[in-house]
Amino acid sequence: MQTQQQGSVLFAGVLVLIATLVIIQLWLLTAALEALLARTYEVLVPATVASIVLFVVNALLLGYVVAFDRKVRSRRRNDSLELL
Amino acid sequence: MSDDAKSIDRWREDFPVRWDADHYLTRRELAKFLTLGSALLCGATGALALASRIGARSDWPAVRIPAAAALLPGTSLLFRYPDDAGPCILIKTGAGELKAYSQVCTHLSCAVRYPSGGDTIECPCHRGFFAVDDGRPVAGPPTRALPRVRLETRSDGVYAIGMEV
Repeated sequence: MQTQQQGSVLFAGVLVLIATLVIIQLWLLTAALEALLARTYEVLVPATVASIVLFVVNALLLGYVVAFDRKVRSRRRNDSLELL
Repeated sequence: MSDDAKSIDRWREDFPVRWDADHYLTRRELAKFLTLGSALLCGATGALALASRIGARSDWPAVRIPAAAALLPGTSLLFRYPDDAGPCILIKTGAGELKAYSQVCTHLSCAVRYPSGGDTIECPCHRGFFAVDDGRPVAGPPTRALPRVRLETRSDGVYAIGMEV
């Protein structure tokens, strides 16, 4: 149960982090659109690179929490089988 | 594995989430959804960068502007560049210098006009003003400069030879 509580806190923290990064990506997209309309094209490639980096960080965070979740669930499953 | 264990396994196939872990699962799904959104935002930003590469134009035609040579100082005339879909305005300033810009306002695409003798180009829709000298916005809602048409004076007249955006 302690691991599950830790997992819950971990999930909350990672969710906040992912949501923050997504908001930054949204801002990057609007900035890129504004740059495209203003024809300041030199902004677009750095914005895309930054967005890719943020997506990779998000994917790594998701992979981490999913792996942690799988571990917690398998442990809980083993515990319930032992009770039987 | 005992029969009871098999029975629980079957039950869990139908109801795989414990009630106390329900919020836990919801958070996991939300994390997946946010990451999917992250991928889409990343793709959209990349698509904009790609669109700028595809949309960039380097081969501007040279188009003669009829009647440009006869333009009086402080007056303007309209022409099309680089094709019929591009309305532009040619202005001869009080000092006799020729300036040309896209006639499409960078605010909401109204047609701009040049009040005779003035030093600003006006967008009548929302009272936006641009400087005649360089097309930069000087008053009103526009925040971006008017695209400038590059001009070249040749022996047979004035030519538009490109656009600076």
